[in-house]
Amino acid sequence: MASIVSIVNVVKEYDLGKVKVPALRGVSLEVGAGEFIAVAGPSGSGKTTLLNLIGCVDTATSGVVKVDGHDTSQLSEWQLTDLRLHVIGFIFQSFNLVSVLSVYQNVEFPLLLQRNHTAGERRQRVTQLLEQVGLHTHASHRPNELSGGQRQRVAVARALVTRPKLVLADEPTANLDSQTGATIIDLMKELNQKEGTTFIFSTHDAKVMSHANAVVKLADGAIQARESLVPGAAA
Amino acid sequence: MSTLKLLLTIAFRNLHASFVNVIIGGIIFFGTLLVLVGGAVLNSMDAAMSKSIIGSVAGHIQVYSSRSKDELAIYGQMGGEADVEAIQDFSQVKKLLEQVPNVKKVVPMGINGALVAGGNTIDLTLADLRDRVNRRREGDQSPELEQQIQSLKNHVRHMVTLLQRDQKNLAALSTSRAQDPENTEAVEKALTDAFWADFDQHPLDGLEFLENRIAPQATDADLLYIRYVGTNLDDFQQAFDRMEVVDGQAVPAGKRGFLFSKQFYEEGLKVKVARRLDVMKEKIDVNHATIKRSEELQRNVKENQSQTREILYQLDELKTARMVDQLQKALGTQEEDPPKLLALLLDTNDENFHQRYQLFYDAVAPLLQLYRVRIGDTLTIQAFTRSGYIQSVNVKVYGTYQFKGLEKAALAGDLNLMDLMSFRDLYGYLSPEKAEEIKKLKAQSGAAMIDRDKAEDALFGGGGGDARAVVAQATPGVIDESKELEGGAGQLRRQDLISRVYSRDEVENGVVLNAAVLLKDPNKLGATIQEINQRAQSSGVALKAVSWQQAAGFLGQLVLFMKAVLYVGVIILFVVVLLIINNAMMMATMQRVREIGTMRAIGAQGSLVLWMVLLETVVLALVFGAAAVLVGSSLVLWMGSAGIPAASPYLYFFFSGPRLFPTLSGWTIVAAAGLVSVVSMVSTLYPAIIATRVSPVTAMQTDE
Repeated sequence: MASIVSIVNVVKEYDLGKVKVPALRGVSLEVGAGEFIAVAGPSGSGKTTLLNLIGCVDTATSGVVKVDGHDTSQLSEWQLTDLRLHVIGFIFQSFNLVSVLSVYQNVEFPLLLQRNHTAGERRQRVTQLLEQVGLHTHASHRPNELSGGQRQRVAVARALVTRPKLVLADEPTANLDSQTGATIIDLMKELNQKEGTTFIFSTHDAKVMSHANAVVKLADGAIQARESLVPGAAA
Repeated sequence: MSTLKLLLTIAFRNLHASFVNVIIGGIIFFGTLLVLVGGAVLNSMDAAMSKSIIGSVAGHIQVYSSRSKDELAIYGQMGGEADVEAIQDFSQVKKLLEQVPNVKKVVPMGINGALVAGGNTIDLTLADLRDRVNRRREGDQSPELEQQIQSLKNHVRHMVTLLQRDQKNLAALSTSRAQDPENTEAVEKALTDAFWADFDQHPLDGLEFLENRIAPQATDADLLYIRYVGTNLDDFQQAFDRMEVVDGQAVPAGKRGFLFSKQFYEEGLKVKVARRLDVMKEKIDVNHATIKRSEELQRNVKENQSQTREILYQLDELKTARMVDQLQKALGTQEEDPPKLLALLLDTNDENFHQRYQLFYDAVAPLLQLYRVRIGDTLTIQAFTRSGYIQSVNVKVYGTYQFKGLEKAALAGDLNLMDLMSFRDLYGYLSPEKAEEIKKLKAQSGAAMIDRDKAEDALFGGGGGDARAVVAQATPGVIDESKELEGGAGQLRRQDLISRVYSRDEVENGVVLNAAVLLKDPNKLGATIQEINQRAQSSGVALKAVSWQQAAGFLGQLVLFMKAVLYVGVIILFVVVLLIINNAMMMATMQRVREIGTMRAIGAQGSLVLWMVLLETVVLALVFGAAAVLVGSSLVLWMGSAGIPAASPYLYFFFSGPRLFPTLSGWTIVAAAGLVSVVSMVSTLYPAIIATRVSPVTAMQTDE
């Protein structure tokens, strides 16, 4: 299984004036293509920092982060952005939809950024994804007309519309009630299995964790364990 | 293309998504509106005013001596007239100017101001009386003359009565010491029958007493400052075709003569009460003012009621009786006292104004000489010459004139017209007749040219001789009028200058101060000025050409100043707008950090964010700017058809008529829209750059 993410001995320190606060202290991790991995740990354990590094929105203080074979420390800001656009999809804790755009436009947005799709192609992909997340009837709604769960589904659709190799989800269920959260995880899982997309999501919810086929446990900026779970065992 | 469409969608949707945008939009709207409407009005005003200035006296270009101390200021400058060196020979200048291909016409000019003493009514009546008495002494025994003398005597006596009444009123108000007892005595004496009985025996003594002791006590005379342009009146009329004669006639070709500006004639020379009534009527009829609401009109009513002496002095007993009779009947009153009766007539309100106005002109005005100088009268103008002595000139008043469209413009109405010969006399330059006269005078008085070095010796004698002897010899020659009147010089003076016709050569071969140049193609103004200056330099003529704006002096600067004020105002406004938009967009950007961060995270490059923010302002500017252009254009078009009324006579000049009709040019629209777009773009640039620096990490941050 080829690894899509390869992290070797990564240290990340935040510079808070004179004090340097370590967030990750030498983390190494390999994520294979098609995995559905949960990153777990209490607040401040470094979950978000780890996802930021994998998501190429931040760079490591030392160590190597390779995403889809690219060493992120060697890439320019522009190249990092391009990498994010073509390889990675993002799902955020607070959904982060563009409030003035419709559901359809929100999902279409990354395709427009990629600039290499015809109008028909875009239409076909957006419609297909909206059907998959069950929101094709809400295509012209604005985000503020939707419930939290519906919004997160839109976010999922947006993350997957570019057919990325990797989807990162930072606490995707934290702002949702547990039942809705579960349906979102199910949706992600379904897409993972259907499309073969790699998912890495962070959570501190044990129920959510149980859906993953592997859990990486973080504490104090270091990986304590990587446990493989039997799919469906916790259900 | 579709990215642009998406950004446009975001921009348009954001228009009403944020309250900040509505505020920015409002500012853009009003900014554009101000630039558009203000620009259109000011441009039209500029055009109207240039029409006023070019069409009244200035022409397109003014030329004057380059040796002048001051710059030419045809509308005067602070503290009087500009010190402009004379051009000694106009014909030479004219020849030079006419060689320039773009020159259509050259009009010689000289602008100056002088005081005209009106003379009080007693003085004028006494002068009349003296004239008649002299005719009787010369042997005229006709009964009409006797009747006229009698009537004038009565009038004088009547005026003295009025004077005494004034003095009594004054005495009641002030301490006795404030009045000279000699004055009171003189008035009492002038009212006695004995005085008038004696007057018939020794009329000249009586007149002298009245002229020296009584007339100075009446204080109704005033000095008038008149500004005049000495010019070739025919050329002037041709060059400035908006000029028209209102009363009387144009000065016949080649003759000496004077034309009052209609405005000045009404304002300065009409009986004050009548003038005030005219002004009030215009305010009521044209501006729809009411006496009830306008404090100014109320003050006018009070002034009219209290300032009737000017009228009363003019009326002799007979006329007074007629006026009293008519007013009593018309007003239905038994009041017999003329001042009270006039006060009653002039006690106007909104209900009776028009009726009283008519009554004044029907019953009172025909008894009066309504203007202090009548058309056809000879006007004596006294002016300080360049060398400082006072020169006086008599000119016949042929009529009044005005410029079409500028009838009420105070500034255009400021200048009266005079022939060049009289102007030169007043300016202190010798006409051929005068030069001749002075030569003869010199010969008669025995005056001789004395070298400056020897002047002291000649005057005071070498080494302390008796100075008085020299002075005494010199004096009689100058002041003895009888001698002066002898010989050729006297004949020249007696010859009626007023009826003399001067040839064009005589008029043009002489001194002028400046000249107006009218052009065939006004658009080539700058090039023509350059050409004139070059030609003058190469031919050694000390001549300087300036544009009409420069020649208009403080007035030209006033418009420049007004424009500067508007531009500075607009600049300040836009700096403020810039700061506000900048701030507001910063706020808007800060509010959208999460959204921008998200876009960056999912793969939007910084440049896209930059364009997104800029495009939003552009859309904002376009939408609100377009609305402002629409509203502003219709506003200007509406003003263009309805006209902006000129509130004061000064504005008539700037508006080139009673109303300004602003026109809208495409350039104004482009300038307004362009200016506003640029300003909003510039003010958004910084927030847009800040927005590109938003890190994608912010997208990950949680709300808590």
